[in-house]
Amino acid sequence: MENKNSDFTNRIIGKDLIRYFILIYWALFWLLNIVDKVIGGAHFLFVGKDRFAQIERFFDSLGLGEPIIANIALVITAGLETFAFVFFAGALYHFAKKNLDATRSWFFIGIALTLITYTYFSVGDQVFGDHFELLEHGLFWFIGLLSWIIFIRVDKIQLFDNFSIGRKQFIVSSIVVLAITAVTTFSIFWHNHTSFVERTQAVSAEKIADNKYKIKFPFLAGSKAFENSIAKFKTDNPTEKITYIYTAPAQLRLGESDGLIIYIQTEKK
Amino acid sequence: MKEKKLIQYLILIHWTLFSATTVIDKIVPDVYPLWVGADFYTLFIKFFASLGLTDPIFATIALAGISFLEIVAFVCFAFSLFNLYKTKDKIAEQWFYRGIGFSILTFSLFSIGDQIFGDRFTLLEHTIFWIILVISWVIYKYNSLTDERVIKFSMSKDIKVGMLVGTLFTVITTVSLFSFSKETFANKTQPVQGEEVVEGVYKFDIPFLGDKITMENTLKDFENKHSDLKINYIYTGPDELNSKKKTHMLLYVFTEPK
Repeated sequence: MENKNSDFTNRIIGKDLIRYFILIYWALFWLLNIVDKVIGGAHFLFVGKDRFAQIERFFDSLGLGEPIIANIALVITAGLETFAFVFFAGALYHFAKKNLDATRSWFFIGIALTLITYTYFSVGDQVFGDHFELLEHGLFWFIGLLSWIIFIRVDKIQLFDNFSIGRKQFIVSSIVVLAITAVTTFSIFWHNHTSFVERTQAVSAEKIADNKYKIKFPFLAGSKAFENSIAKFKTDNPTEKITYIYTAPAQLRLGESDGLIIYIQTEKK
Repeated sequence: MKEKKLIQYLILIHWTLFSATTVIDKIVPDVYPLWVGADFYTLFIKFFASLGLTDPIFATIALAGISFLEIVAFVCFAFSLFNLYKTKDKIAEQWFYRGIGFSILTFSLFSIGDQIFGDRFTLLEHTIFWIILVISWVIYKYNSLTDERVIKFSMSKDIKVGMLVGTLFTVITTVSLFSFSKETFANKTQPVQGEEVVEGVYKFDIPFLGDKITMENTLKDFENKHSDLKINYIYTGPDELNSKKKTHMLLYVFTEPK
């Protein structure tokens, strides 16, 4: 009985766990894609991606600016994604119930819908000329295909037959983990304590020539930091009028620590 | 139908459509109604010019050579798909192997070009497609070597529940998509309202659908509402200032009294 329990535990930790990971991943992946479409736009606790704006722009570039076209394309996508989610969720349910035959059938349909979805996206990417998205969707298509093979073939992969850790190694590894976690946590909290203010804090301008100033922003700086810096510049230089702002391009920011750099051109009021 | 066969169909349909659209992209080299595509001619001209080969004949010959390989790959995939449909599995596999071979050759040539032209990102892109092609062939051939499992899909109770839930979710998503599109479509042209963030400096959060027309209308609207102000300068907020990704673009307008 003890041996049977140990076998069962090892199987759950080993191959079944990999199958659970695959099923949970794809079910959550499509669920969140649906949530993104249902919510639409950026809200508190969910930013997501404005798919309507993206697809509308794509179709507009083809000369099909009417919103109904983008809506239809999105509804087809949503239908494929929803059914992919349903089939992955169903496969997860059947797997939890140890109904392996039904799990495979549901998972297979989920994978087939995933592959169809990404083929459909890839055709769109070629038509719209977006090769970065083509690469992204090609990769997801491939990951879907590979997930299927791993899911059905995981039994053929040689895994460890014993996942237990020796007492001594367990204690030493736990101490190492705790010590490194403590150091990392302290470092993260300390950085937050000293640097969070940079998100909005005004940065002083440095005069580099007559009527020319430079402002180097820290990485954390957002739009508020920019606005506060401009306000500070105006207060510090009441006789100067900003006539031009030049953003240093990435090619001029080769130092790894260079965040956003702007140059301000002024003239006397 | 067997699971193995459906996976083979899905692989073949993907690569046939992939190569077909690649070929169309070469036949339709510019932007036309219903087709935008990528401008490979300009890309090749620039790449060869960077090598000192400014005569367009080099770029044209290279593009024609690559297009030939892509056309051959497309024909192989299309023939493979046709033979699979006709249940001539062995012939389908042979055509698929040829298609994969020509595609791998194409991506290998692209990768050599990327190294010569120093384009590391495209090199990564082409290498990823190269490996996807190789593994697609392995999966096509060996995806179900030992078990010839037939797809079991009867309208059992759980399938009915699944279809119902799927339909319900699709309807909810459709309603939400149409409502969001109705609410936000006006953003495409509608002027954006500015906020005075510093004395004389106004910030505009241009929405995701915002285009050049939106900006033009925004400036017209701003000038109408602030007839006492003169626009000195317009500054586009760089991405570093827009890290929250909630807005498409930040625009700052610097003004002074007239």
